Amino acid sequence: MRYGRAIALAGATVLVAAMTACGGDDEGGGGDGAGKTLNVLIGANTQYPEEFAAWQKSISDKFKAQTGADVKFETFASANDELTKIQTSVVAGSGPDVYAVGTTFTPTAYSTGAFVKLGDEEWKKIGGKEKFVPATLGISGPDDQNQVGIPWVSRPFVMAYNTELLKAAGIDKPATTWDELTAQAKQLTKGDQYGLAIAYKDNFDPWKFVWGMSTQAGNPLIDGKTAKLQDPTVKKAYETYFGWLTTDKVVDPAAIGWTNPQAVAAFSKGKTGYFALTTATAINSLDQGAVKGKWAFTLLPTVPPGATSRPANGVEAASILSGDNLLVADYSKNKDLAFEYVKLVTDQEQQLDYYKKFGNLPANAAALDTLKSDQKLAPLTDAAQKSVATPFTGAWADIQLALTNVAVQTLPDLAKGPVSAATLDGRIADAQKKAQSSLDRAK
Amino acid sequence: MSAVTAAPPGNKPGSKDAKPGKKVSERQRPLWLLTPGGLLMTLIILIPLLLALWISLIDLDQYTLRRWVEAPFIGIGNYVESFEAGLPKSIWLSVSFAVLSTAVTVPIGIAAALVTQNAYRGRALVRAVFLIPYVLPSFVVASVWRTMLQPDGIVNETLGLGSTLWLSGPNSYWTLVLVEIWAAWPFIYLMALAALQSVDNEVHEASAVDGANWWAKLTRVILPYLRGPVLLACLLATLNHINNFTLPFVLFGAPAPDDVNVMPMLVYVTSFQGLRFGLSAAMAVISLILIAIPLYAYLRAVRLDVDK
Repeated sequence: MRYGRAIALAGATVLVAAMTACGGDDEGGGGDGAGKTLNVLIGANTQYPEEFAAWQKSISDKFKAQTGADVKFETFASANDELTKIQTSVVAGSGPDVYAVGTTFTPTAYSTGAFVKLGDEEWKKIGGKEKFVPATLGISGPDDQNQVGIPWVSRPFVMAYNTELLKAAGIDKPATTWDELTAQAKQLTKGDQYGLAIAYKDNFDPWKFVWGMSTQAGNPLIDGKTAKLQDPTVKKAYETYFGWLTTDKVVDPAAIGWTNPQAVAAFSKGKTGYFALTTATAINSLDQGAVKGKWAFTLLPTVPPGATSRPANGVEAASILSGDNLLVADYSKNKDLAFEYVKLVTDQEQQLDYYKKFGNLPANAAALDTLKSDQKLAPLTDAAQKSVATPFTGAWADIQLALTNVAVQTLPDLAKGPVSAATLDGRIADAQKKAQSSLDRAK
Repeated sequence: MSAVTAAPPGNKPGSKDAKPGKKVSERQRPLWLLTPGGLLMTLIILIPLLLALWISLIDLDQYTLRRWVEAPFIGIGNYVESFEAGLPKSIWLSVSFAVLSTAVTVPIGIAAALVTQNAYRGRALVRAVFLIPYVLPSFVVASVWRTMLQPDGIVNETLGLGSTLWLSGPNSYWTLVLVEIWAAWPFIYLMALAALQSVDNEVHEASAVDGANWWAKLTRVILPYLRGPVLLACLLATLNHINNFTLPFVLFGAPAPDDVNVMPMLVYVTSFQGLRFGLSAAMAVISLILIAIPLYAYLRAVRLDVDK
């Protein structure tokens, strides 16, 4: 994308508005949907493109049989594409009827005010709130009265560990506190073998660690309209996260340049004890590597660094609430059909089918229950239930960016050794400033 | 345009209007033929540009997006904030990066053009090879370099540099310059080659007759011929460098290290991650003005806009 396009895009966005405002969708209420088309925007699945096409076909057929209406899927390739689509549609007041958006993006989508708030009636249409895993509703809206997101699938984060290496090191059960993890990682590090695989250069991983450790220590980073990034818990989180590489030396020095897929690849070689942040979608990659048959998932530690038990105000945050929500556009002329579609894809049968095809866990409680018997999946289903929502504010996108930026700017220091407290303080102060200014703007 | 230079029948010879034949023809040129193009330009360039200008003056973000027409007008607020949000540093990075890249690619490009000017066995192959960096998509170039420049990548291993960081910290700036040079020099080469081929054979013969040695011939005869096209190439290349978003984005990701937070990256992050559309539009407008300065200077210098 060339730079001039940024200008053009802004203009084009508005232009689309002007042009589409003149058009109009077909009118009409719910009930018989014959002759109508429901537009659904959904992320493209590059990992399983053929299965994804087949899934779309089967959903379309079922929906047609149920309602008489067609479903037209539109896919986006990246979060950026999705955002652009939402922007143009929001401005134009016309576009997809149903959106599948990532959980952490839901607050941003909510702040545009362009999606249907779910009242009792709406929840009833999709089969009731009770049908979902309670934790998955955690990021549907700022509070119970103002929910827009309907949980669709969940992708909780867990750790993967090498069962053989742990056994060889005499570790009989995986770590449950961060300090324990560090200690075990030290035990596992020898020769060309490392205790931990961490994706330091990933654009999303770093903030998840920092948020998790701080939340467990009782600081969810935002208190009302105040950012609390300069809290000691945040600094401790960064120190622990950077310390694995610089002071504990339990991470391959090359990890300083890794993104998450690179860390998966490194762990797959079978020379690393733990891979600290991964999810169900990595199963295929792991099974294709040397680590095949020798790995298992486990919950991420839920006791903050420097502690042996969680403080009273700490939260058992095993993972960020991760996955996709479905949102129905406020401008949609086919809202009833939209809710019928949501009902269809969140029903037990479809949720299990989707899990089998793509490895995304069900948000449907009954469907998730049926998976609990699978030992290998137990940590994932457990993590899905112990996931905690990141703060629900339109400023969150900026805050996670500011948190990641601290890590990005610190990488060159890490190559030389431990980062000085003053340097780290300075960077956290900068992040705090950005986070607070973004919160001040939040409406 | 000779068809329209004939005096139209309605004008009597010798009358006041008809005196300079050219003027009359100019007035009667069928300018309306430009209408489709003009409309298209208005639709896809002028209107979006005006909208971008407008957006840069309003407080447009995710909260006001839905009713953008009602978004509060804040005058130059976004422009003021741009300067506090790191724009001056990004401008400096972008301009220095662009000028540096151009300065290095020009001698390389000209040298490559000279090398492939005279016919020899395998020249076609050399020419084809020279074009490889130019035809590779920027995304591919950046991905390959990113892989090679990993801490345990092939570059560090081959050069025995330990785990030098090329994609983070101060080195990242030089990485960006290096990769840009690698990808961009064939453009100068192409322009220089085109210019070389337009040098008349007589010129070569004349300098041979005068007994000029190769150095004198190159510096006194050939290079002056190249001046115009290469200057144009310099301008276009510099603008291309400033505008390059794909390369830093794929090489370093977002958020980018401070040392390579060039203007396109800053605008991207502000717009698509921070969702401050008004602020990013202001940044984009400032960079547009910045880019327009050398363009204006160049157009003045070559007077492309003056009818001769």
